[in-house]
Amino acid sequence: MTVPIIKVQQLDKIFSTDDMLTHALQGIELEIQQGEYISISGPSGCGKSTLLSIMGLLDIPTSGKLYFEGQDVSQLSIEEAAEIRNQKIGFIFQQFNLIDELSVFDNIALPLRYAKRPLRLNIINDKVDYCLNLVGMTSMGQRKPTQLSGGQQQRVAIARALVAEPSILLVDEPTGNLDSRNSDQIMETLELLNMQGTTLCVVTHDIRYAEMAKRKIYLLDGQILGQTSFNDECIP
Amino acid sequence: MRKLILRHNQAWASLKKKPGFILTVLLTMGITLGALLCVVTLNYLLLVEPLPYPEQDRLFVAEHKLIGPEKETKAIAFTYPGLVHLYKSKEAFEKASIMAYSQDVIVSHPSQPLVNTAYVTPELHQILASPMAMGRMFEASEAMDTNNPVAMLSYNTWKKEFSGSADILEQKINLSGISYRIIGVLAENFVEAELDGIGRETQVWMPWDYNQTGERGRQSFGNISGTLNFLGQLKEGVSQSQAQQLLSPLVSDRWQEGVIEMDFFKGWSVVMLVTPVKEVMLGDSESIAVMLLAGVMGLVLIACANISNLFMARTAEKQRQMAIQAAIGATKKHLFQAMLAETGLLMFMSIILALVLAQIGFFVMQEHFEQILPRVNELSFNPITFGSAVLVTVVFALFFAKLSTWMVDYRSLNTTLQSSGKGSGLQVSKKVRQVLIASQVALATVLVFANFSLLKDAVKTINAPIGFTTTNISTLVLNFASTDFPTQEERLPIMAEIKEKLEALPQVESISQSPSPLDGWGVRALTDVVSKERYTPFLNGVSHTYFGMIKQPLVQGDNFTLVDRQDRNNVMIVNQSFAKQLKADGDVIGMKISVGGPDPFKIIGIVKDIAIPNATPTGSDNADAGVPRVYTPNGLGSQRFMVKVKPGMSVSREQLGKLLSDVDSRYSVYSFDAADDILTKSLFVEITTAVTTAVLASLVFLLAGIGLYGILSYGTQLRRFELGARMAIGATRKHLVSMIISDNTKAVLIGFVGSVVLFALAYIGLSEYIQPFLNWQVLPMIVATIVLIMLVTLFACYWPLRQYINKPAIFSLRGSD
Repeated sequence: MTVPIIKVQQLDKIFSTDDMLTHALQGIELEIQQGEYISISGPSGCGKSTLLSIMGLLDIPTSGKLYFEGQDVSQLSIEEAAEIRNQKIGFIFQQFNLIDELSVFDNIALPLRYAKRPLRLNIINDKVDYCLNLVGMTSMGQRKPTQLSGGQQQRVAIARALVAEPSILLVDEPTGNLDSRNSDQIMETLELLNMQGTTLCVVTHDIRYAEMAKRKIYLLDGQILGQTSFNDECIP
Repeated sequence: MRKLILRHNQAWASLKKKPGFILTVLLTMGITLGALLCVVTLNYLLLVEPLPYPEQDRLFVAEHKLIGPEKETKAIAFTYPGLVHLYKSKEAFEKASIMAYSQDVIVSHPSQPLVNTAYVTPELHQILASPMAMGRMFEASEAMDTNNPVAMLSYNTWKKEFSGSADILEQKINLSGISYRIIGVLAENFVEAELDGIGRETQVWMPWDYNQTGERGRQSFGNISGTLNFLGQLKEGVSQSQAQQLLSPLVSDRWQEGVIEMDFFKGWSVVMLVTPVKEVMLGDSESIAVMLLAGVMGLVLIACANISNLFMARTAEKQRQMAIQAAIGATKKHLFQAMLAETGLLMFMSIILALVLAQIGFFVMQEHFEQILPRVNELSFNPITFGSAVLVTVVFALFFAKLSTWMVDYRSLNTTLQSSGKGSGLQVSKKVRQVLIASQVALATVLVFANFSLLKDAVKTINAPIGFTTTNISTLVLNFASTDFPTQEERLPIMAEIKEKLEALPQVESISQSPSPLDGWGVRALTDVVSKERYTPFLNGVSHTYFGMIKQPLVQGDNFTLVDRQDRNNVMIVNQSFAKQLKADGDVIGMKISVGGPDPFKIIGIVKDIAIPNATPTGSDNADAGVPRVYTPNGLGSQRFMVKVKPGMSVSREQLGKLLSDVDSRYSVYSFDAADDILTKSLFVEITTAVTTAVLASLVFLLAGIGLYGILSYGTQLRRFELGARMAIGATRKHLVSMIISDNTKAVLIGFVGSVVLFALAYIGLSEYIQPFLNWQVLPMIVATIVLIMLVTLFACYWPLRQYINKPAIFSLRGSD
């Protein structure tokens, strides 16, 4: 059996304020295998984005274990986490989070420029061009994000997430800021990427898009309520 | 009205939740506006406010300008008979008065205080319309040659020395053996025309006849004195230049007659200078006042930039609240009014604090700047102060309110409500932020550099080696309280006994019957017997123990001996500077120098130069040039002593007073001052400048630091989500710190270029003040300034960033903890 890309064991996340503790995640157990397409859904505040952030090393768990490609990454330093994110994880956010002052090309090239071992300029150019082509934005490289529609911005975000050839794409509410036509196009792009071999983990509260995944996880009050595989019944 | 009160109540309710914000605005604006009000009032007083004398436009000071054979200015000072001649001629002036300034001891007073005295003709107080607290001013019965011994006291002297006694009039005081009947006390609000130096207050006024010029001096046209003055009211229709043209031949002809037999003055001439009294009183203080105003304006600009940043940050914070207000119908005008209520309240509180601080500033200036700036005693709140206070309150309140509402894009406010707090909806563009950083850097660089330069010059003077020691040395000058002056022969045993008793005091280590190197100097006309070349070095009569006590090294030849003093031998010691003036190689031992008498003096020794602070050679503006000095042996009847006490011990004035009266009751202490104190006093301007510039430089640096931190921190705050996004895709701390620094470097460099432009503009406008500072020595100052500003910038780049880069990336992306 192959080593899962992500493995979560008994993961807890507690947010604390002066007078209150909130259990955002409790006892999460999860494995994501190479090539999978997983959706995580649930009502607002159930802990979907928190789980995604921890799996993407953007946040640290309060307790429990997190393995990335077999390596324990539960308590990495900020610098070590940054290196793994740069090399192995691609993020797509609801807000797109593109840098307004950079061109589309430079936004996509950014992860390559942060790489520990700098790449040659022509390699960067080739990789960016490839990704632009992949999301159908070849002619828009020199534009600024503010000159693009929401759908186009999200496609640039996808290209940026793909450019470093990550092991997994973590996608947080990718259609939250888009109209239905653009939302459909983005989800189709993501599905296509999965079909080409990209591992996908998508957080969404939209049942329609959650259903597109091959494995569906349903969260409620910080706990996994159940998960279903493609054509499977609900596994409690 | 109700609306206005309601608006201000709401503003206060909103503000009081942010005590840190209130405190920062209050302190920053309160302190800087306090300084501004203080300096504006001072500038008004010095540049605009007329002197408090009737017809002050017609009041002029006449001065005697002595011109040498090479047409060079030899001195600007009167001779006694020249002054009296001018006074008696009444030419060009409707009313005129002459004055001689001095110091004396009130020997009839139990504490025998040394007081500043002035001997004047009665017209002075009539011209000035001097207000009286009690009694009368001098009148015809005290005019020249009436010999009527009466005196007037200053208000402070009456209060301090006579406890404000109600029956002071008709009491008698004794100075130099003459008993004066007190006829009046000047009012507290009397403003003296300070012609003998800024900050000098005359404590006792006496009629001209009693001035301390000796009988020979009163007749000699060759005796030039800097303590004689002339003040008059020009006749109607006579202009300043007309007065000069009228008076010059009158005075010159008489002077030429007087010096016709003096070879030394061959080729010399005299012209009259007639200068408005205001110009003489103010001296170069106008430029000091303008420089102070420029410095404070710079501070206000920096403070203003800082507070602008704070208001922008506050507007950013209130964005959501404003969006809600806009959603329920608030127009742009409503938002402006709400903001104006806040800025108005804050500026009102700041200006109250500023007025309090300005009052403290007036007090500090009156206490400490009395000797630097004229008229500081007149500093008080006036309509200009209050008018300026109201103006700055209104202008700054409107400016900050306008700035805050300007950054709000009213049409975009709705999107703020829709974006659920994620992302930045602010409208302060990167360009505006860069302009703010650049202007902050430019201003801070100019001000820090200017303050550094002033500080450096002041510290250099303070720390300059003086070439002699003052440790444990005090100078004692005796006062003779009788008109029955002893002859030289009578004086010798008295002085010998005084010296002996002084040496016998257990606290005393040694005595030298000499003036200290810090006093007793007079300019003397000397002639090289061989070359007939004439010189005007400083001359002092000293004892044979003088150089040893002050540790001034003899570099060539011999010291004086006791015999030289006893026999009044014509020997002379010169310093290295004068030796070089006499002969280029400085080898002057054996040279003969005439001091005017029949027998020339022989140079027997050369001593090292000393550097008395602020003493420049006659006819030279170069403070670094060595001052030529000449020493002759003084007689054994000298009434000046240097007293060196044992370490850790001291002698009191009272103890010395008793010692003197035990020897001869006619003698008392004229002055007894530690040489260190005299030295410190002579460095007063430099010490004050150093302290002021150090405080200003620190304040500027602090304000600049706060300002740069504020704007950079604000810029970083705005980029929080961008930072989060970059961290999400793998940016490390190093990437982010480098990015923030490189993004701000351009603005900082523009700021440095801006500072060069500001300097260039300042140079065009104020080249005569700036030119003396321009030399290679400013290079380290420039480097130090740039390094300091760069360090502050680097700190301001890193410090706000660390809250994001040292936490998990999600902290930046979420926008909350």
